[in-house]
Amino acid sequence: MTPEEPHDAVVVGSGAGGAMAAWVLTRAGASVLMLEAGRDYSPDEAPMLNMAMDAPLRGVGTPDKRFGFYDATVDGGWEMPGEPYTMAEGSEFMWWRSRMLGGRTNHWARNSFRMGPYDFKPKTRDSLGYDWPVSYEDIAPWYDRTEKLVGVYGSNDGLENHPNSGPGVLQPPPKFRVWETFLKAGGDAINIPVVAARRAVLTKKIDERSPCYWASACGRGCSIGAAFQTTTSLIPWAKKTGKLTIATGAMVYEVLLDAGGKATGVRYIDKATGSHKEAKGRVVVIAASTGETARILLNSRPNGRSEGLSNSSGQVGRNLMDTVGSSVSALFPQLEGRPRYNEDGAMGLHAYIPFWDYKRIQSGEVDTPRGYHVEIGGSFGDPGMGAGSGLDGYGSSLRADVKRRYGSRIGFTQRGEMIPNANSFCSIDTSTKDRFGIPVLKFNFAWSDSELKQVKHFQNAMKELIDKLGGTLVEEPPEPARAISKGGEIIHEVGTCRMGADARDSVVNQFGKSWDVDNLYLTDGSVFASKAHKNPTITIMALAMRSADSIATRLRTGEL
Amino acid sequence: MTTDKTANLVSVDRRVTLKWLMGAMAAGQLAACGDAAKGITWAEVEAIKGKGYGTDPDLINPSVPWPLTMTQAELVAATELADLILPAEGDYPAPSKLGTPAFINEWISAPYPDQHKDRVLIVNGLAWLDAESKIRNGVEFARADAGAQKLLLDDIAFKAKVKPGLEKPAEFFARFRSLTLGAYYTTREGWAEIGYVGNQPGTGDYAGPTPEASAHIRGVIEGMGLTYTAP
Repeated sequence: MTPEEPHDAVVVGSGAGGAMAAWVLTRAGASVLMLEAGRDYSPDEAPMLNMAMDAPLRGVGTPDKRFGFYDATVDGGWEMPGEPYTMAEGSEFMWWRSRMLGGRTNHWARNSFRMGPYDFKPKTRDSLGYDWPVSYEDIAPWYDRTEKLVGVYGSNDGLENHPNSGPGVLQPPPKFRVWETFLKAGGDAINIPVVAARRAVLTKKIDERSPCYWASACGRGCSIGAAFQTTTSLIPWAKKTGKLTIATGAMVYEVLLDAGGKATGVRYIDKATGSHKEAKGRVVVIAASTGETARILLNSRPNGRSEGLSNSSGQVGRNLMDTVGSSVSALFPQLEGRPRYNEDGAMGLHAYIPFWDYKRIQSGEVDTPRGYHVEIGGSFGDPGMGAGSGLDGYGSSLRADVKRRYGSRIGFTQRGEMIPNANSFCSIDTSTKDRFGIPVLKFNFAWSDSELKQVKHFQNAMKELIDKLGGTLVEEPPEPARAISKGGEIIHEVGTCRMGADARDSVVNQFGKSWDVDNLYLTDGSVFASKAHKNPTITIMALAMRSADSIATRLRTGEL
Repeated sequence: MTTDKTANLVSVDRRVTLKWLMGAMAAGQLAACGDAAKGITWAEVEAIKGKGYGTDPDLINPSVPWPLTMTQAELVAATELADLILPAEGDYPAPSKLGTPAFINEWISAPYPDQHKDRVLIVNGLAWLDAESKIRNGVEFARADAGAQKLLLDDIAFKAKVKPGLEKPAEFFARFRSLTLGAYYTTREGWAEIGYVGNQPGTGDYAGPTPEASAHIRGVIEGMGLTYTAP
């Protein structure tokens, strides 16, 4: 079909949420038009084994490519020419965009931690934030289906609030490397768990995708299909049904409604020609990313209503959250001069530290209400432009120092939960337009004391672990208010169109269906009711699968 | 030192060098040796205006689109300095044999903000190196003998022993060293020296640590009174 013909479903976005919805719907027999603002992309473009040495500036990040020359992201970043956003005075927020087929799934870290029972009912637990309209038990089967489909490695450790997957769901995790075994020994001694990480990287072949070959940074995109991205999986699978039409370079800015208040499609700018076009469907699914989805709704003004579309609750754009980030790193003399071997492995986490201190939160001994996990890094890798970091002098002693220190440094990165607050939201800045003439987003953002206390907890716990292992901090971490990441910096922003049990204080129901527009669905991170410390992508996909399953049923029964 | 490297010392960035020499001469009148840099502010260096590689470059066949800007004199000084930072040793070549000076040229010629900061440091720093060497030794840095070069470096190369007044040259040196090490150890020769054996696709399960690496860490862990768990 052509983009001009009416489809059963119009899906805005081709990342985790959009591609999952498109695959489930096409598989159920529905015709789907997928609109992607960026260009077409295939991981065949990925520079799998290129050396840093072959890249400009040894591949370091620049304003053109923030995560380095070889990062898969094309035409994306926190700042994009002609596509500004603004910030309220005193607020700082970094809004990542990825304008390409597959969106951010082409470069994500593939970390895939399930949310647990506590994470779905945070308010019930500590009276802060907002409860999801679903429980962990409701979503568990969707996690199983998603993990099985995607291919996630990990282990079932039965830890509090870190649920096991169903039998036969997970792929075997790769072995710990020496420094991970070393950390585990320290963690075991002070009751900080160091367990197998969960990542969307194949260790066994599934369908036409190859297992990891233990090289090539996943952020470059994975042409062998081992590291999950929608451009090697959901999108080609949906294409194979013959039911998917893709229009790239299609910048959606508005949802169209009929007189009865039903969505009829969307309006977009065809970037190649600059012309404004309409795409029509029986159901509209928006998965344009947390910021962009809110922007489309707020810029859709049925009958000139200033609050935007699907916003009778006033919650569109509110409850903006990102992951709490901070880091420390340490040098371990015990790791100096250790025997060399290939530590590339899965080019990401084999092990991680899940949050362990829930009981002391309950008892009040810990003053931060929500947890975090710790991502760790320390392998013998391509030393990159940081090879000389912290070294002194010159001459042959310097050569010896480089060698001695190689592989003895471990970085610890906090990834924590943020509680939604009234000071963090986005709205339309009516005085600023992007290069397409679309009014832009304006961000307000502030951390609260809960997040700052969490950073302190992390810093203290890691110091204890480092100390147990005889390490020394590379530098003393700054105070939490200075150590904490900027909003949006971790690129886990969620929550601007949250799901809830009550139409009065949420934007969509548990299936991502708009309370106000019966055939309008949201299937990206915007629907998150809370931002657990777990990286959001696997949850976005599980929820999108569940939503699309519900849409498919309603299409089949003629309800839509 | 060898004369071939110093054959063409005239095409120095004139503006920078003149500013430098004026300052150095003024200071030199007060203190003949080593304290020459006191009270001198480093020259502004115009930012590179050209385009970068853009937001959608060819990743499989990378290229550097910006023109290189280092003068012959700067390259000569940079080569000498890089080879003093990591002198050739046994099988390990000197940085100049692995293209390090050319990389520094690529780096400080790039039209990006981080690289511009380094450009200011390095253009001024290399000019300082030659000016300081002329004051101390009567010749540019690359022409000075090895002993004189080391005396000069000893004033700026060690964090805890920077000669008072030479903080700015020390900052330049630290940055130059960092770029040299980064450039050097990202080459195949650098990998071989350091023992990086990755970027090699394999089949089957990840092999994990070698028996030797496992035995070593087990000894370390148990030696600390902790419990080892086999991977």
